[in-house]
Amino acid sequence: MSDAPHAEAEAPDFKTRAGIALADRTLKIAIDRTTNTAETKRAAAVGAFPEFEAARERGRAIKDHVIANLGHYLETFERNATASGAKVHWAADDAEARAIVVRLCREAGARSVTRSKSMLGEEIGLPDALAEAGIERVETDLAEHIIQLAGEHPSHIIWPAMHRTREQVADLFREGHVPPPSAEDPGSMVRSARRVLREKFLGADVGISGANFLIADTGATCTVTNEGNAELTTTPPRVHIVTAGIEKLVPSTAHAFALLRLLVRSATGGEMTQYTTFHRGPKRPGDADGPEEMHIVLVDNGRSRMLGDEFRDMLRCIRCGACMNHCVVYRQIGGHAYGGTYPGPMGAVLTPVLDGLAKSRDLPFACTMNGRCAEVCPVRIPLPTLLRAWRGRSWRENLEPRAMRAGLGLWAWVARRPRLYRLASGLGVRALRLMGKGGWVGSVPLAGGWTAYRDLPRPSGKTFMEQYRGGRK
Amino acid sequence: MSARERIFSAVRAELSAARDPAQIAGEAAALLAEPDAVRPRLAGATLAESFAIKATALGTTIDRVPALDAVPEAVARYLAGQGLRPSVALDGAPELRGLDWGAVETHSAIAPDEAAGVGLARFGVAESGSIVIHSGPETPILLAFLPLHHVVVLRVADMLAHLEDYAARLEGTEPPRNAILITGPSGTTDIEGSYVRGAHGPGFVHVILVEE
Ligand code: SF4
Repeated sequence: MSDAPHAEAEAPDFKTRAGIALADRTLKIAIDRTTNTAETKRAAAVGAFPEFEAARERGRAIKDHVIANLGHYLETFERNATASGAKVHWAADDAEARAIVVRLCREAGARSVTRSKSMLGEEIGLPDALAEAGIERVETDLAEHIIQLAGEHPSHIIWPAMHRTREQVADLFREGHVPPPSAEDPGSMVRSARRVLREKFLGADVGISGANFLIADTGATCTVTNEGNAELTTTPPRVHIVTAGIEKLVPSTAHAFALLRLLVRSATGGEMTQYTTFHRGPKRPGDADGPEEMHIVLVDNGRSRMLGDEFRDMLRCIRCGACMNHCVVYRQIGGHAYGGTYPGPMGAVLTPVLDGLAKSRDLPFACTMNGRCAEVCPVRIPLPTLLRAWRGRSWRENLEPRAMRAGLGLWAWVARRPRLYRLASGLGVRALRLMGKGGWVGSVPLAGGWTAYRDLPRPSGKTFMEQYRGGRK
Repeated sequence: MSARERIFSAVRAELSAARDPAQIAGEAAALLAEPDAVRPRLAGATLAESFAIKATALGTTIDRVPALDAVPEAVARYLAGQGLRPSVALDGAPELRGLDWGAVETHSAIAPDEAAGVGLARFGVAESGSIVIHSGPETPILLAFLPLHHVVVLRVADMLAHLEDYAARLEGTEPPRNAILITGPSGTTDIEGSYVRGAHGPGFVHVILVEE
């Protein structure tokens, strides 16, 4: 059924989730439709911006500068935001962040809360926390609205509903919208969502948003959006709450613009989002509209720990999603199979930080090391290197499955004995050749995980060393 | 220990000792050096032309008038062209309020399903075809978001070349509560990545460029 949450999101472990996702042909169609467009548009946007490489280098340097002086910028931002009339709150982890937001909503007597998309809100578990507190949560971003109707979590950081085809969205809207949309084209579905959400915007008590940048020297928060839902979320309610990670700081508005040029091109292939909004404190005397209170919740949740370890480069991430759009694994299994808030290559690096390596040990291994993610990352994060670092840690911390440890141990033992290694690999290659038909091997004992969805090329019948020696003679 | 103290002590433990703020500011300024090396060149020969190229590519429509007093006429023309009644929600800016609106009825309350709103832009940005609005006693933010048609009056004299030039204009002033760079009509690519114009905000942005 179209409105059932995707099954792969529910399975307990990565291998099962990936298996379910790989078998889902509709999922593959949905992912292809969006990622193909995203890849083409990004390439065109970068092609039309000859200064892109220099801009990337500058962007990397800006983020590194902020990270190296994070304490200074946090203090500066806090001082300036407070001077603007906003109230700054600090949360060391997700539980503290949830508690602060729920308390602020209660203090505001909130019955209904509108939310504009924020991955940090997902990271800290805000949707469930609001539900538990009995507060109506209205997701206003179109994709978030779709997954709220479906009872799901985002499967992509830019397109949270990427896993749904337009036919599936039409089914959801037919059940969830009164009156239902008149047709199945995306245009009439978007108009239907506009109609349904309009009154919710104006009736909400609290509006919650995220931030793409925190501007230290003005104390403003900056958000980029396309739909216009963000301003309708943050303007009419009496209270506006921003939740943001502490790595979002930039020194000034001009620095934010430098990063914005990279972010938008890398995310959607546009040059600017339709709306680039700077919020600075609550409504001022005489203002025609705006919230009476503005609260900014700054969330650490593992970030300060990353400052001191080999994952520090990951703090540069501006959440553009390019790495997942260009990832061969993501494009096969989609975002839900990763099991964390953040999917794809950046998620495989971040999820072990957030959820612990023991729970997410499979993610750094779900990577072919083809390097495309690092090639497109606008702030040059060496994602494959960071994934390799997690693999190393997983080995050191003894988290490898027993069979893998034993298998690798055996391989290492044989590999240190050249004669034995040549004998074993020669036998292996011949056995594989016997198993294959035509140019391919369709199934290999103990390697079903590989061969269930793809074939191995059938080997020539000799090992490299045998051919090399043969060629020399 | 409060969460704030815990976060600061964690951050401080990982970074080197406190540095001189002047030195940090110097490094931050150096990161903005040679802006032309890291930003796109303008699309046209003049600022107004560059702005028009970028804005129309996004679906914004543009009209040009010689002076402010020709604005009501241009608004009437736009409304008629769109088949709309001559009635608009009007920004409180004295430059617009003081005009003779003739046959166009104006009001300041904005209905949830307002057909058209007319506002004054603070700046235009030629690099990206963006217009900038600031919240204030005269300018409700919702004027740019509730109406289906957002008509924006922009003086060519307020046109800036690049995004950094806008940041520079804010320096030394008290920045507004809410500043928004608007780049084209609202839209979404949330269903299968295909672009649909007109989401929660306006489906139409019409810029009246005032040459004087
Ligand atoms: S890791 Fe790089 S490419 Fe991936 S989301 Fe972050 S900034 Fe974008």
